[in-house]
Order: sequence, then structure tokens, then C-alpha cells
Amino acid sequence: MTLPGPEPTGREAVVRVAAVGDIHLGEDCAGLLRPAFEALPDCADLLLLAGDLTRHGSVAEAEVVAGEIAGLGVPVVAVLGNHDHHADTPDEVTRVLRDAGAHVLEGESAVLPVAGHKVGVAGAKGFCGGFLGRSAGEFGEPEMKAFVRTARRGAERLARALGELAEHGCAVRIALTHFSPVPDTLAGEPLEIYPFLGSYLLAEAIDAHGADLAVHGHAHLGTEHGMTAGGVRVRNVAQPVIDHAFALYRLPLDGHPTRPHAPTARYGTR
Amino acid sequence: MTERPEPYEDRAPGPGPYEDEYRIALLRERLAGDGPAELGVRVERRGGVVLLTGTVPTSTRREEILDLARATLTGLTVRTDVAVAGRDAPDHGEELS
Ligand SMILES: [Fe+2]
Ligand SMILES: [Fe+2]
Repeated sequence: MTLPGPEPTGREAVVRVAAVGDIHLGEDCAGLLRPAFEALPDCADLLLLAGDLTRHGSVAEAEVVAGEIAGLGVPVVAVLGNHDHHADTPDEVTRVLRDAGAHVLEGESAVLPVAGHKVGVAGAKGFCGGFLGRSAGEFGEPEMKAFVRTARRGAERLARALGELAEHGCAVRIALTHFSPVPDTLAGEPLEIYPFLGSYLLAEAIDAHGADLAVHGHAHLGTEHGMTAGGVRVRNVAQPVIDHAFALYRLPLDGHPTRPHAPTARYGTR
Repeated sequence: MTERPEPYEDRAPGPGPYEDEYRIALLRERLAGDGPAELGVRVERRGGVVLLTGTVPTSTRREEILDLARATLTGLTVRTDVAVAGRDAPDHGEELS
């Protein structure tokens, strides 16, 4: 669906998405990414941050991140990562990033106007638990059940956010997580730790609701490219993987209509 | 006195190859732990040497990691091939049509 108003002239109908995760800024890292980020208004319509923005999740580190992203001239949409939770103050980290102007999503969505169209981002940190046929079950000790339940609730939050986007008629929908929805983008990581790097429940949520792109981080030794079983392209933008301040993706805004997937009861009703 | 299975009884006291394995595991744990919180570095044994590979955000971080590796693995040869992640804006993007 197109918003009212004429298409800006001389501008292709694409959204230019910049994305990076796992920048892991410590208190000594102020200004590290700022020079590259200053170029964003020339090359991107929005910046996605795929979590692990800090080293230990402290407020002081979050303030360093805020300094890198404040007043960039493009909208910034972020999810937190496991490192941003380490100090047990994720709400404080979120507040600092929001004060710097970022949309920080956890089971929420942001709809941004780009070239007369709507671009939707659904975000949640997600959790680990493993991939199809090699995942933990919600059974046994309370600790094990809590672990698996955390993964399920993370995927449910992402599903809820994707469901919100469906109501907006977005030209492009992006799923933003920290943990990986697919094993493809983990190639390069030791196979033994795959269950700690992501969860297939995230991919199930993405495929149930439909999306044009899924962006994640967390797998520092992984690879950039992957795809869900439903055909949604997945990109691992962990900074060590992309080896740049951010990666850039261009998606057509009028190339195809939004696919109206009916959400499954599993994600739609809880 | 604790009863120990054969392989341990036969071993002479002092550092042996199996203790090196535990020290390498300890290094992995320290790297991922509270201080460095570094998950982008892989520690592998290659013959007689320990090899550190991966990518870290800054050169300071790389020096800290090397210092920690040398301190944890005293007596072992540590070789490193740890890169600092690029911080430049990319010169091209990917078309997803
Ligand atoms: Fe990370
Ligand atoms: Fe992470």
C-alpha cells in the first residue's frame, strides 16, 4: 500500500537498509563507528542494530553506543543482545538508547516512512535452543523447562511484532533479532555450539507471518547469507562477519505486494 | 585418598598433556567471561602450539586477549591470527529483489 502523495522524483522505489550487530562497544570505544555512521544519510534510509551493542550491558557502555547513533539523520531501529543483558539492567540500556532517538524493540514494531511507502521492522532479541531436529525440549528439570520456555516466548514476541506489521500494509517488512533464526548463517561456528546461537522457533514465526528480510547478529564466526525454509532471506550482520561499520541491502518498495500469510494459531493467539 | 582409574595413577605429578587441555578450556572460559566477554575468538590446539583466530573490535582488545592467553597458557607456544574488524562504511550494497 502506498501512502498518499507523489513519489519523490529522481528516486527509485527502493529502501536502503543499513545493518550491523555485535559492535560490543566498551567504555573506551567512543567515536569508533561515528565517522562511518555519519555517511549514513547519503547511502541508507534506516539503520538496524542487531544487538550486542555493548560489552557488558552497563549504562556507561550504553551511553557510548548512544553517542555513536544520536542525531545521525536516519532512523535507528535496535534490538538488544545477550551482552546488553549481562549487567541485568536491560531496561536502563533501552532507556539510554531511546533517549538517543533509537526505536528499541522487544516484541514491538516500528513503521517508518521511506519514499512515500511504509517500511516495517519487527524486533525481538530471541533466544537460543537449537534448530529443527536438534533442539532442546520443554521437559525435565525446572531450569531446562525455563530455558526452552524463554526461547518460545522470544519467538512469540517476534511473531506478535510481525503480526502488528500486517495491519499497517507495509511495502517491506523486516524481522530484526539478535539470535539466529536459521543454521545457514552460523557456518564457521563450531557445530557443537549451534544450539546456543539461535532457535528455529524464530524462523517459524517469520515464515508464519511472512517478511522480506530477516536480520540477526550473535554468530561472530558465522557467515552473512542464509534463508528460512519459507524462502525469507536471512543476513547475519555481526560486525566481525561483515567486516565493515555496517552492511547495506536494497529492497524494492513496489516490486511485489505484501504477502498476507494467515498467522498460525500457535503464534496468533498466545 | 581418592580412588583413581588407571590412566591417572600412571601419570607422573606435574603438568602433563591433559592439564594443557584444561588450561585451554580455562582460557576459552575466561575469554567468554566477565572481563573480556569476547566470543569472536577461537582457541584451537594445532600440534604443539595453541592457535588463536577470529575478529575483535579494537586493537586494544586484541592485545588484552593475547596477554590473557599468554598468562593462562604459560609454557605453551601461543600463535595468534586475530584480526581487528573493519570499521569503514561499505563501498557497495546487496540488491535484494
Ligand atoms: Fe556478540
Ligand atoms: Fe550475542
